[in-house]
Amino acid sequence: MNCLEFRRQLGSDPQTVDAAFLRHRAECARCAEASAHAAGFEAALRRALQVEPSPQLAESILLAQATQQNRRHAYLRRGGLLALAATLVLAIGVGMRVEAKPLSTQAVEHLREEAEVLSAVKPLSAESVRAAFAQRGLTLSQVPGGVAFVGCCPMGRHLTVHMVMPEADGPVTVIYVVDRGSSRREDFQRDGWHGRSLPLGNGTLILLARDTDHFDSVESAWRAALAG
Amino acid sequence: MSAVNSKQRQFDALVRSLSGDLFRYAYWLCGDEALAHDLVQETFLRAWRALGDLRETGAAKSWLITILRREHARLYERKTPQFADVSEIDVADDRDTAQPEHIGEDAVIRAAIHRLDPKYREPLLMQVLGGFSCDEIARELNISSAAVMTQLFRARQKLKAMLSGGDAAANVYEFPA
Repeated sequence: MNCLEFRRQLGSDPQTVDAAFLRHRAECARCAEASAHAAGFEAALRRALQVEPSPQLAESILLAQATQQNRRHAYLRRGGLLALAATLVLAIGVGMRVEAKPLSTQAVEHLREEAEVLSAVKPLSAESVRAAFAQRGLTLSQVPGGVAFVGCCPMGRHLTVHMVMPEADGPVTVIYVVDRGSSRREDFQRDGWHGRSLPLGNGTLILLARDTDHFDSVESAWRAALAG
Repeated sequence: MSAVNSKQRQFDALVRSLSGDLFRYAYWLCGDEALAHDLVQETFLRAWRALGDLRETGAAKSWLITILRREHARLYERKTPQFADVSEIDVADDRDTAQPEHIGEDAVIRAAIHRLDPKYREPLLMQVLGGFSCDEIARELNISSAAVMTQLFRARQKLKAMLSGGDAAANVYEFPA
């Protein structure tokens, strides 16, 4: 190996343990000096690349995997393969038009697609809820109690945090659309569901339930959680 | 221990040991923390479904990076760049080029990495963060080993040029007499 070949190797693979490379470095003082300079650059490069992820990254991945597993089991238990196939056909058939639908309509459709999570009753830890929001880049100032399901779901083309909060007279579905705000507050009824949509933070909070009895308290809790 | 529990334990271990490395790779690939987070999560969810394909635990990192790259590629259209051969490159003597630790903080280097053309940045990430060899990078990028060496050489050359206050496009070094 000559000096030119050494410098090319040094510039493209400075960590190489190629015997000819190491031999040349041992024999050539100028190339050994260049190698030392390159080592300094590599150390600085490695240090600069060390960006740190959110401390909740691993937990949020494990939570997402567990949620996916639970959903899959629920689907299978309910003969959901047919439902999945129907959902896929629907998604392929109308996928291009999803964005044209109001968020309220998309939310009701999403609730139907994931109806099995309405039966969740066991409260999750506050950390699980925080992790889901952290995954969407949001920090909660407090966590409302009574969340029995949380998932980072796509809804049409939007990123959401989807939750279920069971109440004595039926669950309240809470969907926070992270990437789309709304200009106005709206109460609506659609397909037998009562709904409320309101701007909150940079996104939109949507509540869905069979009646509106708990909407005010749930809205208040999430306003406080997402404040600031 | 049941097969299900064994799979779950293996997956948990992979997530806890490698999610940080995957995040760093994803971050430098896409330049956005939230997107990097989503990419890493989607990578691991796909990995979970395909965990039976992983034969050697020691190969897990490169296997996961391969999945991550595919996830990222789904987000962006890609064009195949043209490469020169490494033997056509002029080689500089770096002794007169200030070392980055003398030029600025990590932030300066990070800004330079962000400015690096993706065709140079990606093989550099695969080598420095992923631990891939030139041949492995070549297979992954579906280009020749010589083209990989060219990209890696130029990636470092351009970074050093930027850190020295030069133009990233500049390639004016001459091999010392």
